[in-house]
Amino acid sequence: MKKKSMVLVVTVMMLFSVVAAACSSGNGGNTEGGNAGSGASGGANNAAGGEEKTQEKATFTIFNGAGAAKDVNTNETTIGKLLEDQTGVNFKLENLVGDLNTKIGTMIASNKYPDAAIDEVLGAGAFIDLTDLIEQHGPNIKRVYGPYFNQMKAEDGKIYFLPFSNVVGEYNPDPNINQGAFWVQRRVLKEAGYPQIKTMDEYFKLIEDYVAKHPDEDLTGFVSLTHDWRFFATTNPPMHLMGYPNDGEVTVDMNTFEAKTYSASDATKRWLQKLSELNAKGLFDKASFVDNYDQYLAKLTSGKVLGFFDYGWQIGNAQNVLKDAAKKDPAKDDFVYFPLPVTFDGEKDQYLDPPGFVKNRGIGITVSAKDPARIVQYFDNLLKEENQILKSWGIKGETYEVDENGRFYRTAEQIAKIDEAFREEFGFKYYDWNWPNYGTNSTLADGNAYAPGLQPEVFQMSLTEADKTILDKYGVRTYAELFAAPDERPWFPAWGIPKEQGSEPQMYETKKTELTRKYFPKLVLASPAEFESVWAEYMGEFGKLDTAGYEKFMTDEIKKLVEQAK
Amino acid sequence: MENNTAGIPATGAIAKKPAGMARFFKLLLQQRALVVMSVPFLIWLFIFKYMPMWGWTIAFQKYKPALGFWEQEWAGLTHFRFLFEDERFIRVLRNTLAMSGINLVLGFVTAIALALLLNEVRKVMFKRVVQTVSYLPHFISWVVAAGIIQSTLSPDGIINELLMKAGFIKEGVLFLGIPEYFWTIFGAGTVWKDVGWNTIVYLAAMTMIDPAQYEAAEMDGAGRFKRMWHITLPGIKPVIVVLLIMNIGYLMESGFEPQYLLGNGMNVDYSENLDIFVLKYGIAQSNFSLSIAAGMFKTVVSFILLFVANNVSKRLGEARLY
Repeated sequence: MKKKSMVLVVTVMMLFSVVAAACSSGNGGNTEGGNAGSGASGGANNAAGGEEKTQEKATFTIFNGAGAAKDVNTNETTIGKLLEDQTGVNFKLENLVGDLNTKIGTMIASNKYPDAAIDEVLGAGAFIDLTDLIEQHGPNIKRVYGPYFNQMKAEDGKIYFLPFSNVVGEYNPDPNINQGAFWVQRRVLKEAGYPQIKTMDEYFKLIEDYVAKHPDEDLTGFVSLTHDWRFFATTNPPMHLMGYPNDGEVTVDMNTFEAKTYSASDATKRWLQKLSELNAKGLFDKASFVDNYDQYLAKLTSGKVLGFFDYGWQIGNAQNVLKDAAKKDPAKDDFVYFPLPVTFDGEKDQYLDPPGFVKNRGIGITVSAKDPARIVQYFDNLLKEENQILKSWGIKGETYEVDENGRFYRTAEQIAKIDEAFREEFGFKYYDWNWPNYGTNSTLADGNAYAPGLQPEVFQMSLTEADKTILDKYGVRTYAELFAAPDERPWFPAWGIPKEQGSEPQMYETKKTELTRKYFPKLVLASPAEFESVWAEYMGEFGKLDTAGYEKFMTDEIKKLVEQAK
Repeated sequence: MENNTAGIPATGAIAKKPAGMARFFKLLLQQRALVVMSVPFLIWLFIFKYMPMWGWTIAFQKYKPALGFWEQEWAGLTHFRFLFEDERFIRVLRNTLAMSGINLVLGFVTAIALALLLNEVRKVMFKRVVQTVSYLPHFISWVVAAGIIQSTLSPDGIINELLMKAGFIKEGVLFLGIPEYFWTIFGAGTVWKDVGWNTIVYLAAMTMIDPAQYEAAEMDGAGRFKRMWHITLPGIKPVIVVLLIMNIGYLMESGFEPQYLLGNGMNVDYSENLDIFVLKYGIAQSNFSLSIAAGMFKTVVSFILLFVANNVSKRLGEARLY
């Protein structure tokens, strides 16, 4: 028996080694090809791509756990094609289908990963250390990420992935609202004569009045996003209403750096009580608590929903549809949402993100990657200033122009041309984010904004007449000007503080989320008379969690970050 | 089944009966074609059913995916303790058993009833149409089915509209927001989705019944219901019993998709089953050991259930699995 099983083991091992040998020899060939190729493309610019010696083409896969686009090959896009001409590398972008954790579980179980992946969940040994690869193949990676290397290192001192929000050059604020805000349909403001809305009560009064005046339109006063991990859109508002930026589960004191959770605080109580009142008046959409993200977006685009709280990046799909419709038919501008800096009692708002470096999410190369060096070379090539301009601004004369002062701008035709379909075809959409890149708020060496949307010339051009009118009514030039400037918070964002998988703080967050997920609907749907008793029940359950331990963990981490930044 | 067919030529061919091993090898030689044919399936069984059991060791480790087996940290029974000591566990177990119980009972009753009725239908066209329509939902994925159920039950969905038109309620009810309704919704949804599909096997069993029995019964003056009761049902009893035993083995599996897709914060007390619990506290936390521990628990319970059900059936002199 024993002998037999030994034979079996040996046979199996031999099989494996044959496969491994085949793989590694293939790798060797590829690496050489890759090296030769990158040597040739070192000084090449975009146009010279075609003249290069043909090199072996390679296709790698990138898995994106948070993407909602369709799967695509980068070389099917204009940008991707140019980059392929430079490097010979094509990427197959795979987006998540189904549940993220199931998918990742499958990957881990089978030990088969895509070549590169975006997400920190895969950190558990699936990513390779990039330090040496960057040293060998990444002069541009060093230039762009150099100042952040210390912060990017994992506890073991290795760099496993490249984050996305590293600012290169001057910090350039975003004129649009991609962050949190209380949004309201423009027609509501128009009818009320563009009042200044600063407090929570003013905001909901505005909505209530509008619904009261239009009883036959089947309007919904307020909806809230609760689906799956996006539930924070319902739990975060108390933090913002108190005048804090989005630090996740905690608010951080500016002087003592103490982190405090707020899920069971008076602020949350006040917020939920308000929603409960709205619900009693029939202004709150009950289905908020059962709808999924798609249904929520569909409601926003229906034009029937007057207001909601959410983050700009999360409603982009809906807002873009509304804006496109408004471009074609100015009357539809009424349905476009306008962001308002609402706080409980008119405190200074902190909706805009302070400059921060999100380091718990990035793109890494997995242990299954066929040829890590070639991928790193591609990343390095992508990080060249001219390629960053290509992926962000596009091609001179086609998607942007340069005036006599060297300022980049876009003509009205170019702006009209760059709609969602064009963004897909050209590749802006696929290269927009989730690649090693300059952070959105970066400035190019020549002083132009890295992101076209942040270039004042482009922003002004992107506004419709109606946009200009409403901004004018509020006496501002950009949406961001409606909001207070962000105070400096070196730890920001606190939600980006890495927590070990399965650790106490992470368990706390899971349990806390589960608890709020269960009680928030109860509280909001409770009649105002029952509210207090449900709240007491919630407090009782909440008391069982180790909140003090979690707050201590967060406070310690934040103090460390404050020290690091000094 | 396989044994029987294999045995027939063998018994005929053997004249004298050598005892013990000699007989075994002789038989083996005679039936070598059959043996060779079954080898691929044994290999399949081994690779896909027995080899993965090696993974059970993970349940006793503090498992980290990238490390080799010998580098893992052993954790003893920690994960089992976490599982059984968690206050949610009882609730989750209750939901699992309740929902699979509902599935089992409703699934059997509705499928057998529909099969009996279909069997009595004499118009072939009508029968075919009913059959096709009833098993179409089986081919819809749960994601889509859940979407349909969600919009049907939403406050402005068709059910609320009907109830409001009929004057039973004044404003839309958030059906999926009422925890106690969840099992009903789940049961109804599963029946709608699977009843047609489940009838197929019974209908097939019914075609095996000798028509002469029906004729004889008719001569004796048995009506339709009598014939159903005394001929059709006993005729398909072995199939029912075998399916029942197998399904009892699946009692710990109450499904995952419907609960995951239809569940939300409000009905979590009734919708969260073992699988979802494992997803939340095992896989989502990258705590694979806990997931495996829960899986082991499920397997062991299922095994016991199957064993008991089979034994009971044996005692009662009914059909059985082995």
